Amino acid sequence: MDFLTQFAATEEAASGDIMTTLGIHWELLAFQIIAFLILVWALGKFVYPWLMKSVDERQAKIEESVKAAEEAEKKAESAQEDIAKLLKDARVEAKDIVTTAKDEAAAMVADAEGKAKARAEKIVKDAHEQLEKDVIAARKALHNDTIELVALATEKIVGKTVSESVDKKIIAQAVKEQA
Amino acid sequence: MATTKLSRRKIAAYFADELIAGRSVVKPLAAYLVEAKRTREAALVVRDIESALADRGVLLADVSTARELTAEMKKEITGFLTQTTNAKSVHIKPHVDPHLLGGVRIDTPSTRLDTTIRHRLNKLTATKI
Repeated sequence: MDFLTQFAATEEAASGDIMTTLGIHWELLAFQIIAFLILVWALGKFVYPWLMKSVDERQAKIEESVKAAEEAEKKAESAQEDIAKLLKDARVEAKDIVTTAKDEAAAMVADAEGKAKARAEKIVKDAHEQLEKDVIAARKALHNDTIELVALATEKIVGKTVSESVDKKIIAQAVKEQA
Repeated sequence: MATTKLSRRKIAAYFADELIAGRSVVKPLAAYLVEAKRTREAALVVRDIESALADRGVLLADVSTARELTAEMKKEITGFLTQTTNAKSVHIKPHVDPHLLGGVRIDTPSTRLDTTIRHRLNKLTATKI
């Protein structure tokens, strides 16, 4: 820098024109332009492509992410619809199951009632039959007991009351009837 | 009498003829049954003799009553048997059985007439179910 300042002062004194007055030194300016161009070229050659590549990659990633997010949103919406549909189907199925269960329960109750009624009727019928049998048996027993009693009483009474004359009449009557 | 085993029918016919001829048959019959070792058939032979006698017009009847039969009743029964069987001669063997209670039971070789009160009571009790 010291060199450049010294060079500039020397040049200012030598030329003394407007550029010098303004402090602009052509050599220095050219040098700076060349350096700038070299810098621009270096940047354009090495830094800018890398930077653009990174930016492009980043942009691609962002776009991909956005796309993925959109897809995820779509999927979420689709899943939401699927869930709604599943819920609807589940409700319908649950309703069907409840209806079927109610019908089956009603059928089971009706069947149980029918069986219970049939069983009750059978019990009543059996009871009637048993009662009739008991009545018949009782009548038979009464009949037999009555006959036994009548025979016994007749034997006792006849044994005491039938006199010889009565016996004679009985025999005569029997002989006449058979003759 | 030969010891050859004769049929009961022939024995009965022989002794029935002997009885009709007025000969006693008790001892000969007993002797034969003992000799032929057929004493167990005595009751059957007697029954067969009664049947043989009935075939020959001589009826033997067992008459059972609860009391002793009077002569009048015997005559009445004899007349009844003569009339109903067409027998030439009727002989009754009276039996007294108080268990009969009343009435008469007449047993002939072929039939039985039972009009006793006991029989009627038995018929009554037989109707038990």
